[in-house]
Amino acid sequence: MSVAVPKYLRTALPVICIVLLATAISSESFAQNKSGNSPQAQATFTRDIAPILFRTCARCHRPGEAGPFPLLTYADAKSHARQIAAVTQSRFMPPWLPEEGPLKFADELRLSENEITRIQAWVAQGSPEGDPADLPAAPKFVEGWQLGKPDVIVKATKPYALPASGSDNYWNFVFRAPVDRTRRLKAMEIRPGDKRLVHHANVLVDRQQAGRRHESEPGDGFAGMELTIESEAFDPDSHFLFWKPGSIPYVEPDGMSLRLDKDTDLILNTHLQPSGKSESIQPTLGLYFTDKPATLHPVLLQLDNDRQLDIPPGEKHFVVTDEFVLPVDVEVLAIYPHAHYLGKDLQAIAKFPDGRSQTLIHIPDWNLNWQAVYRYQNPVKLPKGTTVSMHFVYDNSADNVRNPNDPPDRVVAGNRATDEMAHLWLQVLPETSDKQDPRAEILEAMARHNLQKNPEDFEAHYNLAAFLIRRGELTQAIAQFAEANRIRPNEPTANNAFGAALLAAGRPEDSVPHLTAALNARPDYFDARYNLGNALASLGDFRGALAQFQAAVRINPEDANAEANLGSAYAEIGDNKQAKLHYQRALQLNPNHQLARENLQQLGANPGPR
Amino acid sequence: MRKTFHIRRSLPHFVFTFATAFVLPFAAISTAAQASALDLDGKSVNPFQAARGKVLVLIFVRTDCPVSNRYARIIQELSARNRANAVFFLVYPDSKESQEIIRKHDREFGYRLTALRDPQHVLVKRSSAQITPEAAVFDAHEKLVYHGRIDNLYEDFGHSRRTATTHELADAIRSAIAGETREIVSAPAVGCYISDLE
Repeated sequence: MSVAVPKYLRTALPVICIVLLATAISSESFAQNKSGNSPQAQATFTRDIAPILFRTCARCHRPGEAGPFPLLTYADAKSHARQIAAVTQSRFMPPWLPEEGPLKFADELRLSENEITRIQAWVAQGSPEGDPADLPAAPKFVEGWQLGKPDVIVKATKPYALPASGSDNYWNFVFRAPVDRTRRLKAMEIRPGDKRLVHHANVLVDRQQAGRRHESEPGDGFAGMELTIESEAFDPDSHFLFWKPGSIPYVEPDGMSLRLDKDTDLILNTHLQPSGKSESIQPTLGLYFTDKPATLHPVLLQLDNDRQLDIPPGEKHFVVTDEFVLPVDVEVLAIYPHAHYLGKDLQAIAKFPDGRSQTLIHIPDWNLNWQAVYRYQNPVKLPKGTTVSMHFVYDNSADNVRNPNDPPDRVVAGNRATDEMAHLWLQVLPETSDKQDPRAEILEAMARHNLQKNPEDFEAHYNLAAFLIRRGELTQAIAQFAEANRIRPNEPTANNAFGAALLAAGRPEDSVPHLTAALNARPDYFDARYNLGNALASLGDFRGALAQFQAAVRINPEDANAEANLGSAYAEIGDNKQAKLHYQRALQLNPNHQLARENLQQLGANPGPR
Repeated sequence: MRKTFHIRRSLPHFVFTFATAFVLPFAAISTAAQASALDLDGKSVNPFQAARGKVLVLIFVRTDCPVSNRYARIIQELSARNRANAVFFLVYPDSKESQEIIRKHDREFGYRLTALRDPQHVLVKRSSAQITPEAAVFDAHEKLVYHGRIDNLYEDFGHSRRTATTHELADAIRSAIAGETREIVSAPAVGCYISDLE
């Protein structure tokens, strides 16, 4: 008899990458420009300003997009000229948080000093239009689905009613993955609804359908800024599925697709801003599949130090750090720093084994509203032994206008907007190695690192146990599960995994209390029902086992293993008629089910063709 | 009273050169166009006359200004709360915003206060308004006692509070209703520049 594979747990914020719209006009060439003027000389809309607006603004400032007004014509720009000058000078627009550095990101939206000065000069000179002959071609945008018609389109079951006013709002939509078999996803277009209302949106692949348990009614969705979900141990989530205003979907390179199974949920986590009137939001996802097999397996490296987050009121410069030594060579593809409203200065640095340092990202004026996934123009190679560190500074004083507390209050780590976070995620592609899956090496090292920081880290104990199980080190895995269980005695996933490990170690009697605890917390927990059925069968309690397998089959009528085991339980109590029926059902679900086939033959029945 | 005094000072030449019977109606039309805004039927409206000795609050907004739109509920609540003692008008200074666009906008954002168009920026100038959203408060004697932000929700572009901690407009209305003598107080607003519309 088999046991269900332990599940892997992680704190997860979903995510995708952002690439540029294809209007490759270099405004720099205009700034230095045809006339050879310095920025202080006469600037005109057609010659100097339109190229800047077309390259950096029009993607959002056009009808149907996130910008509150269009910036496509001279009249558009003239009627917002001083505003444009103000928001570009303060670098509020275009929204681009990272400071310029030697590493380039794809689709950098930063204006050069020359461009900013030119806009100032244009406005100071009365915002003249200039010679129509100088006007560059208007930017071209793809209407509708950015990558063409998706293979599958799925719409949120119910709209969310966003209140007219109040502070920022976080809502999660749960989509049932529209696949009837395992597919490989190469791109996903997130259409969050009215783009003016959505600051950003992330998709989380919820393989265990854990998120939907937060819904009052199926399809309702649920509130919440951050999510913690479970995912399987050895296909860890590694893709950023992220939307921000102006982004178009990122197409994964060949071989780097994302697995999407039947019975998987996609959770769209949205950050919404009330507009002044009541709004209805009903997002849509467009899925693009590929038949090419996955050959490249990136992994998300998650640095954090939420435990250090205990920020006294009034503290203007509170520093949180974490550092991790890479156990293998990697290429960094993308980076995602994350803090809430007290975050001020966010920095990530790589220190190479030879002592050299490289800034991976530096955001000197963090703004949660413009958070994004930053994808490097060229992958950043980091050799084994490199120390990746994060250095985040928080301002919990009244001077920080974004401070959610008035007056400032003590702030600790948490999922609410009034709590804080200190996360730095890197999407890395490990160098392949013959000896073992390098992803497992990285993730196990992360789990051990997290336990050094915090011996009471439930998830780290749990994850480490999952890796040890995979390596066949059952005794050590059981010790880690025991720690996880000590920290959170009622956690159903950990209880199930602990029970499954004990069962695998030949300790069914010890496994029963944990599997029972998992089911007390979550009666419709299929894996726990299945494992408890196995444990009771191992102890000779076949009637008890029968009840558990019956319940398991009710929860998931499509599982061949549960049907086969139900057949075995019937056989053990002498009900061969029922036993045959369930073995046959198992073979209907999986014609290659060896156990069902053999047992059916033992009962003298013909199992039929494979 | 103030308006009459103003007209005579500015147009003495006409009064003496032409026949009174002709000049007076001409002068009346001319000043109405200068000193009044338009309602959504295109008729001239003088908000000071409409206030009739009450405190007058003008709130400058723009249909495409996200900052002023986010204030819709606050503006509506302030006007409802002070209905007995103050007269509120929404003022749209963008000459390109048509009556239809404004009607639709007011409906969508749940505004129930009277909207005026100010295409000539007569009210903008009299209120020293520079930004949408920005408020101007005139006391019962038509004296400008406050112009500036509604509250401190926005400190700058991209720097907004979760909730406002100071409420300059509500304070100014309260003082004006109480008849407290104050200097004109101004707090700079954050939003869209009215001067971009000139």
